[in-house]
Amino acid sequence: MRTTRRDFLKRSLGATPLLAFTSVVPGFLSRTAMAAAGRLGEEGPVLVVVQLSGGNDGLNTVVPFEDDAYHRNRPTLRLRAEQLHKLEAGLGFHSEMGAFHRLYESGHLSVIQGVGYPNSNRDHEGAMRDWHSARPGESARQTGWVGRAVDQAFTVDGLGLPGVFVGQIKPPFSVRSETALVPSVASSRPWVLDGFAEPVARLAAVARAGANNSLLEFVQKETLAAYACNQRIQEVLKAGSRPGAKEYPQLPLARTLRSIAELIRAGLGARIYFAELGGGEIGGFDTHAGQAANHGALLRELSDSVAAFVEDLGRDGLLNSVLVMTFSEFGRGLSENGRRGTGHGSAAPMFIAGGKLQRRLVGAHPSLTDLEDDAPKFHTDFRRVYATVLEQWLGFDSKRILGKNYELVDGLFG
Amino acid sequence: VNDGWNQKLDDAAWAWAPYEPGAGHDWDLRLAGHLYRRTAFGGTWDELQAALKDGPQSTVEKLVRPKGETNAFNTAYDEYEREAAKSSSANNAVAWWLRRMIETPHPLLEQMTLFWHNYFGLTNERLSHPAMLCRHLHRLRHQALGKFDALLEGVLNEPALFVSLEARANRKARPNSEFARILLEQFLLGPGHFSESDVQATAQAFTGWFVSQDELRYAAREHDTGLRQLLGREGDFEVKDVLHMVLQQPAASQLVVRRLYRWLISETSAAPEALITPLAADFAKDYDLARLVETVLRSNLFFSPAAYRQKIKSPIEFSVGLVRSFGASVGTLPLSLDLAALGQNLYEPPTVKGWAGHRSWLNRLTILGRASLAHSLVSNQGGYGGKMDIQGIAQKHGAETPQATSDFLCDLLLQGDLPRPARQSLAATAAGAKAMAEAISPSTGVGQVAALLAAMPEYQLA
Repeated sequence: MRTTRRDFLKRSLGATPLLAFTSVVPGFLSRTAMAAAGRLGEEGPVLVVVQLSGGNDGLNTVVPFEDDAYHRNRPTLRLRAEQLHKLEAGLGFHSEMGAFHRLYESGHLSVIQGVGYPNSNRDHEGAMRDWHSARPGESARQTGWVGRAVDQAFTVDGLGLPGVFVGQIKPPFSVRSETALVPSVASSRPWVLDGFAEPVARLAAVARAGANNSLLEFVQKETLAAYACNQRIQEVLKAGSRPGAKEYPQLPLARTLRSIAELIRAGLGARIYFAELGGGEIGGFDTHAGQAANHGALLRELSDSVAAFVEDLGRDGLLNSVLVMTFSEFGRGLSENGRRGTGHGSAAPMFIAGGKLQRRLVGAHPSLTDLEDDAPKFHTDFRRVYATVLEQWLGFDSKRILGKNYELVDGLFG
Repeated sequence: VNDGWNQKLDDAAWAWAPYEPGAGHDWDLRLAGHLYRRTAFGGTWDELQAALKDGPQSTVEKLVRPKGETNAFNTAYDEYEREAAKSSSANNAVAWWLRRMIETPHPLLEQMTLFWHNYFGLTNERLSHPAMLCRHLHRLRHQALGKFDALLEGVLNEPALFVSLEARANRKARPNSEFARILLEQFLLGPGHFSESDVQATAQAFTGWFVSQDELRYAAREHDTGLRQLLGREGDFEVKDVLHMVLQQPAASQLVVRRLYRWLISETSAAPEALITPLAADFAKDYDLARLVETVLRSNLFFSPAAYRQKIKSPIEFSVGLVRSFGASVGTLPLSLDLAALGQNLYEPPTVKGWAGHRSWLNRLTILGRASLAHSLVSNQGGYGGKMDIQGIAQKHGAETPQATSDFLCDLLLQGDLPRPARQSLAATAAGAKAMAEAISPSTGVGQVAALLAAMPEYQLA
């Protein structure tokens, strides 16, 4: 559907009083406003990073149920074949991950197995810092990899708002940037200013002729784009509360992903969103004791929330421009400890979900007999996954962001 | 008009000469507002009126060296902040600093403390305890309008610097060249003004310094006494030697002057070398910061179109300025959280380069967030609890009708510098708001007009 200028002005600037001012709206303004109201996804593909805080137990997430070593080493935590959602190659998803299995079957979810890095840190803070900076061991590093991607999109591509953190915790180091600002929002809702937005937009739209100030022109342009976006967020929220709209489960991650879907639909224009599951700091995935119930609940939250998000986006064709990627600071050891939990490990699977995936299982499951201090060894460096997503999904120059060229992982995108 | 200005902009003698009103460049409310925004976050109506009467030079004098008791105020706040920084989170210490910015009788000192916090970019995130950063900030404030050499010497002797830059242990066997590079590049000389050999010599000078139990200690046996090349001289250098030699380089004073230009004059154009070189040379004579700041604030350049509205307000300047303009006070703990969401978390600059500022402050989310914050601050709803009596202030200054109120607020917040159609529309909004206010609550409507003004593109400019 084509948007006419008049439609747009009505839409972006609210009620009719604005029309009295259209004669003084300069040309650049309507062009910008049109661009701001442009089609969804035209700013480029979107990446949603989901952090699983605490060190997710990969072995009880993607379970090698045909491997004796798995059963031997996990007397109470082991999951039996009949409890699992079967994939292939003797692997199955945890019993709480039915929704992920559904995505997997429909080709909207891939598992990248055995991801880690050399001499990996087994301390939460150090390991998380390594995954966030993508420069392991360089503790003085000032920025995160998402932050550097955002900086690149800001300075090179001129995007005003390349990245957003959505959630209740303090934004993780990963989004730390140097030249661009990565805003932190709890949801898409607090930004809606009932009854106030319309007069602001009306006054802001008045021509600033004669000011001869390019900074003022920039602020005016951004202000109008912001209120156009605000208007669309309101429309999206309204549409979302109508009968027949996609239901999300009542879970914190689902609420976060729902907000992200709303911001994407409203044409916010961000390329990278960052979300978190597990509560930040030393998160809920740190299952040293009584793992079974906690871990199951978190996997259900992950699986149900991401599935709701994917299905929601699939309803209006947005799925082909959105990719979800999960990571955790490390996997866990093979052996169950005396408290029905597991210790810190190294390699673990990452998930990607979206509409344009190629292979469902990428890479082999790591061996359970060739271990490194009780944990499976990695075969795919996490920076190779980052590089592949940056290059093949976002179309970014990964070398500038990661500091060198990493071999791309085969088979992620079709 | 602009051609005339442009010709003068690289004439240092004209640019840094004191501004005298007249000859088509009158001292008016607009320029008084400009001076108060850059030096005091924003001015109250009484302050702006006094400035109009006193003229630019006396007003600068008053802002640099306020009459009355500022020591007692600062001593008391130092104590509040120190107490607050004993907690494990920096939130309370940040809230006290924001309160200090709002209530201080010497706002320029806070602006300059913020300048130095931004200059050094040390972050509480890497420290074990906010007390360390609180001490650093107190040191910055103490010398913010003092001597640059003393300021640097103090910062280089603080554990906060070493821990924040991951240089806790400087062993003979492992000199920290990354630390040395950051010091030379960010704080001392600037990129392009030092060699790899200077980096090595600087790293060597720091060998022997360790942070243990949050204190900086020196272990002589870990100091590398080998000979190195530093800035063209050979020797076994100590930290004080590095400082001494660096301060003799023109690049050292130029780095500070260039950063100050961006802070006080303009973010939109790079500082012309022709202006920076002579000012920096003059500054290097005594490294007196009050003299430098004063020269800039009194100058023709500062009051010219090259500076007027050539900066974007930081979230702090935006909100503290709004509150100060009404001579009000608000809860600064909720304010600190709102400011963090808008991208400015005091005690935690994003990197050692400080906040990027300029256009990065404003995007689709932060623009809506600023409007929302302004609305919360001036309205009777929300976490701020309506502590700002907009209606009362307008009435005190004789604004009774909606038209007069809207004019008063526009003059107070934007010095009337808003396009005519917007002013007319504002007056109509004020009339509507008054009708609404009479029906609901007396201060809601007028507050709405103030929030509207704060959401205007013009209000985002410093």
